[in-house]
Amino acid sequence: MIQLHNVSVTYQQDVCALSGVSLMIPRGDFVFLTGASGAGKSTLLKLLYAEIAPSHGQIIIDNQNVSRLTRSELPYLRRTIGIVFQDFRLLPNRTVMENVAITLEVLGIGRKEIGERVSRILKQVGLEQRMQATPCRLSGGEQQRVALARALVNEPKILLADEPTGNLDDENKALILSILAEANCRGTTIIVASHDLRLVAASNKRAVTLERGEIREVHDEPR
Amino acid sequence: MSHAKFKRRHVSGRGGVWGGVAYFFRRTLLNIRQNLVINLLAVVTITLSFLIVSLFLLVFVNLEGAGELWSEKIQVTVYFDRELNEKEFIALRNLIMTLEGTDTINYVSKGDALKRFRTRLKGQESLLDGVPPEVLPASMEIRLKQAFRTSGAVEAYVTRLKKIPTIVEVQYGEEWVRRFNTFMNFMRFAGLLLGGFIALAVLFIISNTIKITIYSRREEVELLELVGATRLFIRIPFLLEGMLQGVCGAILAILILAAVSWAFLNHAGNFLIFNPQEAGLVFIPVTFCVALVVTGILVGFIGSLTSLHRFADQS
Repeated sequence: MIQLHNVSVTYQQDVCALSGVSLMIPRGDFVFLTGASGAGKSTLLKLLYAEIAPSHGQIIIDNQNVSRLTRSELPYLRRTIGIVFQDFRLLPNRTVMENVAITLEVLGIGRKEIGERVSRILKQVGLEQRMQATPCRLSGGEQQRVALARALVNEPKILLADEPTGNLDDENKALILSILAEANCRGTTIIVASHDLRLVAASNKRAVTLERGEIREVHDEPR
Repeated sequence: MSHAKFKRRHVSGRGGVWGGVAYFFRRTLLNIRQNLVINLLAVVTITLSFLIVSLFLLVFVNLEGAGELWSEKIQVTVYFDRELNEKEFIALRNLIMTLEGTDTINYVSKGDALKRFRTRLKGQESLLDGVPPEVLPASMEIRLKQAFRTSGAVEAYVTRLKKIPTIVEVQYGEEWVRRFNTFMNFMRFAGLLLGGFIALAVLFIISNTIKITIYSRREEVELLELVGATRLFIRIPFLLEGMLQGVCGAILAILILAAVSWAFLNHAGNFLIFNPQEAGLVFIPVTFCVALVVTGILVGFIGSLTSLHRFADQS
């Protein structure tokens, strides 16, 4: 489903964020990208949702070369991908419900259906009582769950999560992981960038370790 | 490798085109409510800008009106060496009326001329004692149509008049007409120049105010892009918001100016040496008001569009 062929990203001509990365992630896989800060985890995720373009190499998603997509075709790729940003990117002036609904609004779905689907996903992440709250009234863990709900509400083919458990307590970490696992069971391919090695080890999932922009090692999921 | 593109899912759940339109209007109103302070600041700035423009228009329209009023003083007087009888007068009047540019004709007999002269010498009427009416010539005062009150047009008209045999002499205050026309042309030129500068400054202010409101929501635009919104989907609410800000600013400016103008006309007589109501001061015409509102809509639209273009170029 996702293939990276010899992908490199260079910033400002000499800063190399990724170098010669080749990776294949089959449909329905659950993969952790690990590595220290600056290893290239976030850059790799940004490449997948086409926020940045590779300096070299090819990225294939669903048999489609992402670099060759035109500007007007990009939104249709992004609609198949749910993204949980490291800084959440919740809109401060909108309620929890409106923040989650954005993903469905861009698809042109009617109000009634949006209401039903948003309620369902917020119930799933345990925020059904906070629908009308604005993000500033939520705790870090709650904000993280809103971001996760927004990424999952349209049942995407792929979910990319950048440090989704960073700064969370163990209870919230477990909750987030269980939500991701549920989505994975429903067929969503999940890629999580995390520097939390304890969490990665506990999850028993495939892990790709990055170091200075290169793949250092790949741990396959124990069968 | 397949070259099939990502499937485009069409708007369906909102109930077709009207559902889409209703969504965008609802979204726009929600955006305004959720960003109320910056929207209010933008509308206040746009209102003040349009107030400057409409105040200028009000002054310009009234100066033009005053100019037109003064131009009515441009009249051509033809003199006869003798009193015309009724038949001659009617024949001559009909002939002059056929000349292009004639508006009205007023016959002043020798007796009327002396009466007028006597009125002008108010307090010293005794100077005219014993002066017979025949001393002053009979005349016709011809008022010209608006378009024929320029120096060139008056001269051409007079040339045609002089060809009529009964007419002995024609006077039209050449110097006054020339000066008046020069003054009016200068006033229009200065008005256009000043108006042009004001319009440019105001367009710049409004367009930048709208840009600031959009820049303040840069994160929203970026997020919408990342969750798969098309460019049109992102732009429509911003464009509607900009147009709404423009139209509100223009309408508020006109209403404020109307209120101030009304108050001035009704109360300024108390402290001014003239009564503005009697001076024939008018408010800006409806067509100008409509033009201001349309300008508001256009500036709002263009200001939003250029800001969004800049976002697109950066992303």
